[in-house]
Amino acid sequence: MSKDRYVGLSLTNLSLRGFLMVLLLMAVPVYAQTGDAGGYARDKSAAYWLEKMGPALNMTSYRGVYVYARGASVHSMQVAHRYHDGIVEERLVLQDGGSGEIVRRGMSVVCVLPDRGKVKLDQIIPSGPFAEAFASQLVPVNRWYKAELTGEDRIAGYDVVTVALTAKDQHRYTHLLWLEKSTGLLIKSHVRSAGGEVLEHFQFTTLEITDDIPDSEFEIRTEGRELSRTLSDSGSHSDSQSEFSNIAHRQNWHLSWRPEGFEPAATPTSGRGQAIAFSDGLAAFSVFVEPAGKMSMPTGASRIGATTIYMRQLHKGNHAFLVTVIGEIPPVTARKVAESVRVDEALATDAGKS
Amino acid sequence: MDDRLRETLSAMLDDEADELSVRRLLSHEDQSDVHAQWQRWQGIHDLMHRSHSPVEGLDVSTAVREMLDGRIRSQAVPELVTREASRRWQWPALAMVAAALMVGFGAGAGWDSGQPFPDALAFVTATETPDAEPANAVSTSEDPPVQEVALQGLNEKQWEHVSRYLLEHAQHNSVGAGQGSVGYARLASASGGY
Repeated sequence: MSKDRYVGLSLTNLSLRGFLMVLLLMAVPVYAQTGDAGGYARDKSAAYWLEKMGPALNMTSYRGVYVYARGASVHSMQVAHRYHDGIVEERLVLQDGGSGEIVRRGMSVVCVLPDRGKVKLDQIIPSGPFAEAFASQLVPVNRWYKAELTGEDRIAGYDVVTVALTAKDQHRYTHLLWLEKSTGLLIKSHVRSAGGEVLEHFQFTTLEITDDIPDSEFEIRTEGRELSRTLSDSGSHSDSQSEFSNIAHRQNWHLSWRPEGFEPAATPTSGRGQAIAFSDGLAAFSVFVEPAGKMSMPTGASRIGATTIYMRQLHKGNHAFLVTVIGEIPPVTARKVAESVRVDEALATDAGKS
Repeated sequence: MDDRLRETLSAMLDDEADELSVRRLLSHEDQSDVHAQWQRWQGIHDLMHRSHSPVEGLDVSTAVREMLDGRIRSQAVPELVTREASRRWQWPALAMVAAALMVGFGAGAGWDSGQPFPDALAFVTATETPDAEPANAVSTSEDPPVQEVALQGLNEKQWEHVSRYLLEHAQHNSVGAGQGSVGYARLASASGGY
């Protein structure tokens, strides 16, 4: 009996051992396969994902809700985005506060925004082209940020890879990007200070990546003051130093210093037309120069999340100008840019006439 | 000042206030009222316990200012704190300093003019990180702290001026920074008012 049991056990052990061996042999390729699948995202470099992110922003069709937090303010927006026949259609609906929406079809943009009294929205309707994420191709991001894949995660139901873009100098913030694996769509992002503090947080809370978005989702439904504008190619971004010189010449002011890597990105023509935007491919700042007139502004900086607003008054002859630098850059950098603004004689003369 | 804040103040006297409550108290709009109440109760507390408050003579504002300046805090404050046998005051005092920093300077709200910019501190720290490679001949450690401007302190015209720029920048951002929805988010946030 006991022998039988022994033999039986022995056989069982052998069978078990054999079974385990077979299982192991089977498991190795499976593991290897899994390893490949898991490593697929890791094998791709950060540069690959950044390259993928650019077109994905426009060429992916999706709908969802995202939240955006900076400073003490948190906003959520519902978005439907479709890329169809080479045309980008987008509808964004404010989910907090007053009702409002932005609908864009190609170069045509319609804003229905609540009248908030102080802000003249017609002055800020898109004044330049909605370039197709051109800046990311314009400037080699890797030169100013250390790009690295930091892991994988799951956001809003989608598998993502995380890419850290650590600022290489003190003139920009560090960015963390969460990109959806199959499309490269940006699903979440952080802007962080050098100390690691999250200054700005963007994240989809619900997301559906789908090509099946009906036309009806791109129709304006909010009632209110409608402002529309068709964007033109004039005043498009510039990509060379000579073009920047031309812009600066037209603006009649120039910067004697700007952080390395920030190139002129757009020449807005709205407002009083004295602004230039700069981008390093990731962060951007805008410089506004206009005659002060009777307006007087304090000198100094305010920060709303990652956005710094630096204001100062500049005197040229008998004329005063307001210089404002707004951007996702540290306050010290914003101040340095503001202090480097030089107003040309022509602008001072114009200011005298107006 | 409502009952809840009074309760917090009372809890602070007994070293039982939690951080959130202290923050709420310090963000109360009428700080003079809070201050007066604190002094009254402190007086009563001292009489009852026949002791002097260690907080007496502790200049919290100086500590805050020094911290923001990035200077090493003067020895007077820690000495004053450590000299006292009772450690019970450390938390409320530190909480007040920390909460003043959080409430006063967080999120762009309630910044006081005349104080150096808080980011300047982080900025100086940033230059010490191994990854930070100064690309330009700009030594931030030598840069004086950036003067703050409280957005809430701007008059209507000034605020309109800043709002317009904020929106315009947000617009540039949605165009230029190549982050798609993030730019729109900034636009919506800027148009949402603060």
